[in-house]
Amino acid sequence: MIKRIFTLALLAALGSTVSAQGLLGGHVTGNVQMDGQMSSADSIIGAQDVPEKLLMNARADVLYTNGDFSAGLRFELYQNPLLGFDAKYSGQGLANYFVAYNGEKLSITAGHFYEQFGSGMILRAYEDRYLGLDNALLGMNVQLRPVPGVTIKGVIGRQKIFWEYGEGLVRGIDGEVNLNSILGFMKESKFRTTLGAGFVSKYEDDEVIPSSANPEMRLNLPLNVGATSLRADLGYGNWSLQTEYVMKGQDPNAINGYVYHPGQALLLNLIYSQRGFSASVQAKRIDNMGFKSVRSQSGEMLYINYLPAITKNHTYAFLSMYPYATQVNGEQGLQADVMYKFKKGSFLGGETGLDLHLNGSVVYGLDTTVTGGAGTEGYSVNSGLGETLYGDVSVEIAKKLSKAVKYTVTYAYQVFNPVVENEPGDLHHNHIVVADVLWKVNKGHSLRFEAEWMGSDSHYDANDPAHSDRRAGDWIMGLVEWNIGTHWFLSASDQYAYNDGIGNYYNFTVGYTSGATRLQVGYGKQREGLLCIGGVCRLVPASNGLTFSLTTSF
Amino acid sequence: MKKILFTFIALILGGAAWAQNAKLPENITLKDIDGQSVQSSVIQNGGKPIIISFWATWCKPCNLELNTIKDLYDEWREETGVKLVAVSIDDARSAARVKPHVEGNDWPYEVYLDQNSDLKRAMGVVNVPHTFILNGNGEIVWQHTGYQAGGEEELIEKVRELLK
Repeated sequence: MIKRIFTLALLAALGSTVSAQGLLGGHVTGNVQMDGQMSSADSIIGAQDVPEKLLMNARADVLYTNGDFSAGLRFELYQNPLLGFDAKYSGQGLANYFVAYNGEKLSITAGHFYEQFGSGMILRAYEDRYLGLDNALLGMNVQLRPVPGVTIKGVIGRQKIFWEYGEGLVRGIDGEVNLNSILGFMKESKFRTTLGAGFVSKYEDDEVIPSSANPEMRLNLPLNVGATSLRADLGYGNWSLQTEYVMKGQDPNAINGYVYHPGQALLLNLIYSQRGFSASVQAKRIDNMGFKSVRSQSGEMLYINYLPAITKNHTYAFLSMYPYATQVNGEQGLQADVMYKFKKGSFLGGETGLDLHLNGSVVYGLDTTVTGGAGTEGYSVNSGLGETLYGDVSVEIAKKLSKAVKYTVTYAYQVFNPVVENEPGDLHHNHIVVADVLWKVNKGHSLRFEAEWMGSDSHYDANDPAHSDRRAGDWIMGLVEWNIGTHWFLSASDQYAYNDGIGNYYNFTVGYTSGATRLQVGYGKQREGLLCIGGVCRLVPASNGLTFSLTTSF
Repeated sequence: MKKILFTFIALILGGAAWAQNAKLPENITLKDIDGQSVQSSVIQNGGKPIIISFWATWCKPCNLELNTIKDLYDEWREETGVKLVAVSIDDARSAARVKPHVEGNDWPYEVYLDQNSDLKRAMGVVNVPHTFILNGNGEIVWQHTGYQAGGEEELIEKVRELLK
């Protein structure tokens, strides 16, 4: 220890000397977050006692930048992890470190890095602290920008999983060209064209996986698995079309049941937009695209790629109570979205104008015929639709009543298949209405009221596994939020199952914000459920008690 | 590993103590609203202040903030010359929604997409909305997280202070 302190002092002195001479300067940025939780048992909502009394997640990111050079560190602590975070996170230490050079034409990162090719369907290394997900690659990342409009990326590394790294080696290369930038005759063209292509390969040692046909025999596993992406981003005037097609070679793994069926996926986005009006249609089809760096890994860790959910990311409590999670083994779906601003003075717009937002999405499984188990092709895909997985339509109207009062009213209808969460049961059909009113009382105070209702054909029955979902039944909710100046807020809310359901979830929160620092303390009951971000979900158990969160950026 | 940590801390303590205000990182790759790659150095305002607002299509307070500022933006620009740059952190799921969202809401801002969160990480942002004010030299002089009704007044007041 003494030796270390000595080293530290020496280095500090050295650093100071160098900087005093003007060789070193630069600056430090970063952020700190601490989240704590206390919870006690509540049999109605299914909350368990926490033997440690207090759980805490914390992290600090520090980034040092000096001109084109930067270096970063992240310290993480889980003592012990918050409810819903994997117990394998328990502990503390250095979770991320890197050094990077970011020049005009060349960027190099050595250490941990995050990267994405295209829409991420063949490679996306990312982290989401709220999901407890960190797929960082530890290795090298090089990005070349030889001329404006051309980007070439190369990556190599191994993926982070909790405090360790997966055995599989991930390598990838990707190129993107904007034709308008590099072709003289396209410079002034109204056609906007960007083309891209990428290739990712995973290498993993052989292992013994028994064949389903004959348990005496082992599978002949591919040690290298490749995935390719082709994409185009086209535009003309108010129109744009983004498309990406990806395919993956034979990749028997734990998520697909060790079948040899190749993978593919297609994503299409067609958009028309002008000032005050936009319309878009999105289509997606996925067939066996679960791509992990370790073939035996199930769960949400070690994904090399990312398959975005096609449904809208709803934010109101009841609209997001049954979130949709991407089915990596197979799904096909559509989403359509329209936004329109009725101008002031128009028939529907009235004196202050009116905003209309329509959205709908539908997702089906693939229609497949099973042809065998582990060690075979597994299944073949027919052209029709499989079972209904999810569907929703929503209408949202936002209007200003006066300078001080704004309201939003939303109606939604939703169909949810519990199979999305690997749970038994029938389809849930839900009607949801939300009213949200913001009232700026005066310069220092504003109030927000939210009222929600959900009517569902599902019901709760503790003795029937097919009806054990605590979200079932008819619900009402009320919320009041009081903002005092720009620093303080207080809120109180309650969700109550008034028919066919169970649970009364009340919450009180107080928050204080000053600059980039925010402290929030809450007390109440938290629903058991899936926390989903971007179609990736984490199961959060019910909790009952105190939570607090502190974040600051510097 | 520990050595790396110690060296790093030492460099920071020793080296950065004399540092000035942090600047906007220059060579981070973003996409403009038409999907073309650009470097973060394109964020310029001819020596006048810049507001950088990190947001996402699904973030309600972000939308409230940007919609509120929209009605004041012409006045702000005239008075202070400030420019608002809205950086979306929408990922692959909702990135395609950014352009229709911006145009559907009729936002007058310069908008960039930070799909891989490179700029978000480089600027130490945890949650959206997160707003920065850059002075005429591109130095970060103020930052704020979250938005509550009335927050826009505080924001423009900080910009006005720069011009005094």
